[in-house]
Amino acid sequence: MIQYVIKRLGWAIFVVAVVAVLVFLLMNRVGAPAVATLGPNAGPQQIQDFKRKNGLDQPLAVQFAAYLGVVPCVRQGSRAFKDHPDDPGYCGLLQGDLGDSFTHNEPVARVIAHRLPRTLLLGVLAIFFEIFLGVSVGILAAVKRNTWFDTGFMATAFLGISLPTYVTGPIFLLVFAFFFGWFPVGGYGEGFWDHVYHGILPAFTLAIVGAATYARITRSEMIETLRSDYIRTAKAKGLGPSTIVVKHGLRNALLPLVTLLGLDLSLLVAGAIITENIFAWPGMGALAIQSIVGLDAPTVMGVVLVFSAMVQVGNLLADLAIAALDPRVRLGNEPS
Amino acid sequence: MDPRAFRRFKKNKGALFGAFLVTIVLLVAFVGPFVSSQDPNEQYRTQLLTDEGVPRGPMVVPGHLLGGDTIGRDELARLLHGGAVSMQVAIFATALTVLIGLYVGVTSGFFGGLYDSVLMRLVDVLLSMPFLLVAIAINRVVDNPALSALYVLLGLISWTTLARVTRAKTMQVREMEYVQAARALGLSRTRIVFRHVLPNVLGPAIVIGTTLVAQMIIVESAMSYLGLGVQPPRASWGSMLREGQEMMAHAPRLMLYPAAFIVMAVFGFNLLGEGLRDAFDPKD
Repeated sequence: MIQYVIKRLGWAIFVVAVVAVLVFLLMNRVGAPAVATLGPNAGPQQIQDFKRKNGLDQPLAVQFAAYLGVVPCVRQGSRAFKDHPDDPGYCGLLQGDLGDSFTHNEPVARVIAHRLPRTLLLGVLAIFFEIFLGVSVGILAAVKRNTWFDTGFMATAFLGISLPTYVTGPIFLLVFAFFFGWFPVGGYGEGFWDHVYHGILPAFTLAIVGAATYARITRSEMIETLRSDYIRTAKAKGLGPSTIVVKHGLRNALLPLVTLLGLDLSLLVAGAIITENIFAWPGMGALAIQSIVGLDAPTVMGVVLVFSAMVQVGNLLADLAIAALDPRVRLGNEPS
Repeated sequence: MDPRAFRRFKKNKGALFGAFLVTIVLLVAFVGPFVSSQDPNEQYRTQLLTDEGVPRGPMVVPGHLLGGDTIGRDELARLLHGGAVSMQVAIFATALTVLIGLYVGVTSGFFGGLYDSVLMRLVDVLLSMPFLLVAIAINRVVDNPALSALYVLLGLISWTTLARVTRAKTMQVREMEYVQAARALGLSRTRIVFRHVLPNVLGPAIVIGTTLVAQMIIVESAMSYLGLGVQPPRASWGSMLREGQEMMAHAPRLMLYPAAFIVMAVFGFNLLGEGLRDAFDPKD
């Protein structure tokens, strides 16, 4: 088990590293961040200063190694340089330094620390909606199998899978925020409960595809479980229908949902990028797009690293949870 | 195609509805631009915008059936041409994806060994990447990307699922007795792959390919919605949705038209894919 976790963690780090190298090359080799940040009117001297300040005048390999924190700092504008100009030391990932944002005038780590909780709030709300809606519709559809309720909701769920967030989001905005005025037209609000209030519509938008998937899986798992022998035994014992469904049926039907929840993280990440842009929610997704548009290379790197790490951790947790809950599952050697 | 599969498909109402939607969308996207006489990028500010700059609605100005868009271009022409762009990207990207996926899947399943391991690890890496972010980042740094760059990009990063499925199927077929027999007869590898392996993996490939078109429409529209896909002034359903959203208060229809087409296309291809899956593989 422990060996497996270590192996998986190693693999996760490898994947994140590959993504990091790719995005680093993409931003710094293919793109031209200096020109993008300073604008088309910047003179050569200005560009030169910017490059020196951010270490962009160094060879790419040195830049990347310094970014990782395995060779000394090359960014002359960094805090390490300001404190000890003669012996700057290291200023990379290993030292917990993600560099300075080109556009935010702040260390990337601080920008992310500021933004990440907002996206997490959105994610938590969305997962709540997904589970609440998906599981309850799935159970009801399974119990009332082949009635109009079942067919109707399952058709809706299938349609739900085909509704991209950038379609549902603007429509929700139009209907619930604009016509009815029940929710604010985007933004983040002030104070925790106001954040939650502002987050309901985006989180609901984000949750639709997931809720539809959960409903479909819960239904099919539930139908299979309700057919098994121990459910018949429970009925024979004279247990009430709700006890049977909740205590005996649900517990087993929920197993696959745990895996799904882990995999959901990557969907939520992708969804957050779009949803946050629709609802002007100032989280990581909005930051990702802003920094890509502005070729703010250090911020893009930071965001991509955080997102990739989240996805990896989610996948790992899902596999571990399944192994813990289902004694039949033995974790193998294959990282998959 | 197996006649029984075709019969099963014909009986499946959902699949037929999907095929119907797909036909409409394809007609709109590929025949529509030839029918419409208007230039999708030309502005008719005086005719199609009111003095306050609000676009005029459908059936108001003769010759402009759906009225104007946010800056006075012909909405119908933009919808039709935008559809051509969206579907073109989706279909070419899918075609490329299917080609790469089939090639990687069949060869790595058939030959196995180190070649197979390396490719499957590559699949793992690609699958764990934040797909949308990487696609957007690549498209951003390619200066002024052409439409073809967009579908090559999408094709190059999305062949993973298809490769996995065809690989598994190939490995199954490889062990079949008739393949062993073909080997014993001394048939060449190429012949075995084309005569025995490919026909068996083609079914799943078509099914996945169909749902992939839906995925590609979603990704392309998402990128264009964010302003980082198809470049303006060229229309695409995704970018039209974004532009329409800005005028939500005055003309919600500008947002709803492209939204309806996107949903129709995605829903249609998803239904069609699901129907094909049931038709090819009734056990599932």
